[in-house]
Amino acid sequence: MKKTKRLVSMLMCFLLIATMLVGCKKDNNTANTSKNDTPATTEEATPTEAATDTPAEKFQLKLGIWPEDTLPDDIKLHEGYVKTFNETHPNVEVVPDHYKYATDTFVSLAESGNLPTIFETWYTEPQKLINGGFVADITDELKARGWDTAMNPSILNLLSKDGKIYGIPRDGYALGLMVNVELFEDAGLVDANGYPKYPKTWDELAQTAKTIKDKTGQAGLCLLAKDNAGGWHFSNIAWAFGATLTLEKDGKFVANVNTPEAIKAMEYVKSLKWDYDVLTPDPTNEDWGTGFVNLGTSTAAMYIAANDAVNQPTQVNGLPVDKLSLVPMPAGPGGQYSLSGGTPYMFSKDATPDQINAALDYLEVMGKAPVATDDAIAGMKADAQNKNDNGVPVIPRFPCWVDQKVLDAESAVQKEYSNVDMNLYNDYFNIIKADGNLRLEEPGSAQDLYAELTKVLQAVITDKKADVASLMKTANDNYQKLLDENVNK
Amino acid sequence: MAETKNDLANRTPRTTSRMKRKDLTGWLIMLPTLLLFAFFVWEPLVESIRLSLYTAKGIRLEKFVGFSNYMKVLKHPDFLAAFSNTFVYILWSLIIGFLVPIIIAVLITETTHFRSFFRVGVYFPNIMPGLATVLMWGFFFRPGNTGVLNILLDKIGVAPQIWLTNPKWTIPLIVLAMTWKGAGSTALIYMAGISNINPELYEAATIDGAGILSRMRYITVPSIFSLGKTLLILQIISVFQIIYEPLVMTNGGPNNASISIMQLVYNYAFRDYNYPMAAALSVMMSIVLIILSGLYFKITASKEN
Repeated sequence: MKKTKRLVSMLMCFLLIATMLVGCKKDNNTANTSKNDTPATTEEATPTEAATDTPAEKFQLKLGIWPEDTLPDDIKLHEGYVKTFNETHPNVEVVPDHYKYATDTFVSLAESGNLPTIFETWYTEPQKLINGGFVADITDELKARGWDTAMNPSILNLLSKDGKIYGIPRDGYALGLMVNVELFEDAGLVDANGYPKYPKTWDELAQTAKTIKDKTGQAGLCLLAKDNAGGWHFSNIAWAFGATLTLEKDGKFVANVNTPEAIKAMEYVKSLKWDYDVLTPDPTNEDWGTGFVNLGTSTAAMYIAANDAVNQPTQVNGLPVDKLSLVPMPAGPGGQYSLSGGTPYMFSKDATPDQINAALDYLEVMGKAPVATDDAIAGMKADAQNKNDNGVPVIPRFPCWVDQKVLDAESAVQKEYSNVDMNLYNDYFNIIKADGNLRLEEPGSAQDLYAELTKVLQAVITDKKADVASLMKTANDNYQKLLDENVNK
Repeated sequence: MAETKNDLANRTPRTTSRMKRKDLTGWLIMLPTLLLFAFFVWEPLVESIRLSLYTAKGIRLEKFVGFSNYMKVLKHPDFLAAFSNTFVYILWSLIIGFLVPIIIAVLITETTHFRSFFRVGVYFPNIMPGLATVLMWGFFFRPGNTGVLNILLDKIGVAPQIWLTNPKWTIPLIVLAMTWKGAGSTALIYMAGISNINPELYEAATIDGAGILSRMRYITVPSIFSLGKTLLILQIISVFQIIYEPLVMTNGGPNNASISIMQLVYNYAFRDYNYPMAAALSVMMSIVLIILSGLYFKITASKEN
């Protein structure tokens, strides 16, 4: 009896170990599993094996830019792109692999070689991803196509390091002021033609916001103070007050946060809370996304945002397409500036040149590349039609490419499919063409700067007695420390 | 926690002779677990110590730099705030969180009617997922007219409060939410401890004319004293690792008023992709935790003796 028991337990142990080892076996069929993961609706989109005249080698193109499952219209749009794409690339199997960039998933995907060939990331990330070696150098591919010279130079700069290019822009952006026209109407802040009387300066903004708060009870402005986006927006406000937050001296960066101009800007933000009381109830819990919720659901009338995010208040949060307006960033005593940058496409470090080229070709089909072929124009039209169907304003793009033919094609498509009154947008697009209005984010270590500024923002809007000057001095010291530690070497 | 108790059981005196065949079976049974532990726990632990001594691209090691990551962590502007906050968290968790379960346990034990109802009731918050609890309390503490607590206050004519956005109250309020969730399970442990007390002691005391207060003072409290010591250390260890409550409720703000060391680790790793610094801070943290765990073992060992 005892012997059988022991035998059985030995056997069980052996089984356990055996199954464990089996579980560790390397799975060579990863390609198949990822294919199974894709939604059934996309099956028809994968290439047919017909029309293979060119005996090119077969390979996969994993599209991280595939729309998420909740956007069926966008998926249909992309299925159309895939069909067009496969006519010229029968050897490429397009694998939908939706990836929404998130900092807590990215590194594990990249390190395990599971990143999609092409993916979108945030405007903040390129340098971080380049430094971490997570993304592919695409200089050669771009040079071969001549796209390197077609790119808006300031955006090219954001996506390059040491002369090598690592990404291309999906869209460029320049910050402006998004306006909820409904709330302006409720507050009586419209002119004879029904257009919102938007504030031209930061002082006017405080007054306008106060009127809205008094008349409608809703917040006049949604200010961000939860994460680095708060500091990002604030740097734009500070410029209008005449501040420059980072200086460059002898090749080293010097923190310049506690200047009278920057302090004045911070005092202004403080007054929005304690003198005018026009902010949302808890700015320390507002981030980029909740800002659009507030604007789209009419709990805030104004929000600092850019042209590439007009789908957020409308399609995502339900604001009628004709009730959104995008106006210039207000001016201040130091001038009028719009912070600009680009939302990039980047490529997995494991992507082969073939895959990168296929991805770039796919962007051509989407009409997001600096080419004006028939396919590209058809792609732009399909995109504009889809925006029309989903209540997203069709407005001009920020010129991230400088090729005139492309710009002309884009503006023709935009005019044809326009679904909004451009008077609600023209001032914005005029001001960003003005000389010296566009400004890139602060050099040095922008994210560290934003983190420090966000802390000050949190302090001044939660404490009426906060001493702005001393807080800004602390922020300055901290930022300088981080610059010396990480950048100035 | 379950593991530590098992370890303790394994340490009971054993005959110090050669390894018996019986032991071999035991080891064989443990082997899969040991392998899994080695792969998923010990190897990453050692690896993260190594990582903390190097520079890295992502998690690919580059150059040995000795303790410079540690110095960077210590010099980082947020470190001091996180470090001192952690002790403020512990302090408040002791003030609010330590006594509440004891009081609950004593009250429920003294209850005659509906005792099991109350027992289930206090344990109830525990079955909620942690994140849901934190989000819920986030809605409660929302400042302005839309916060749940402010709506309630409004009904009795009190002006809306700013709750978590008052830097002085951020940590106590977070601890309050944690206590709401965690007190029930700790109270159950105390209740078990109290029910182990010989009821004759209470009978004798009652006959001698002792009221509830003196019964508690001379019987209940001395009997659960060593249990309390153990739970105290465990509580300090777990509060030391606090992360998701402040992360979700305040993101460490306002102005670092609630940032914790673990959140700093999270920021280094997942916001900045600076894994060596995250590893360095984790190693420092684990040293503190090892010391605290040593203390825990010492206390529980003396209890058993």
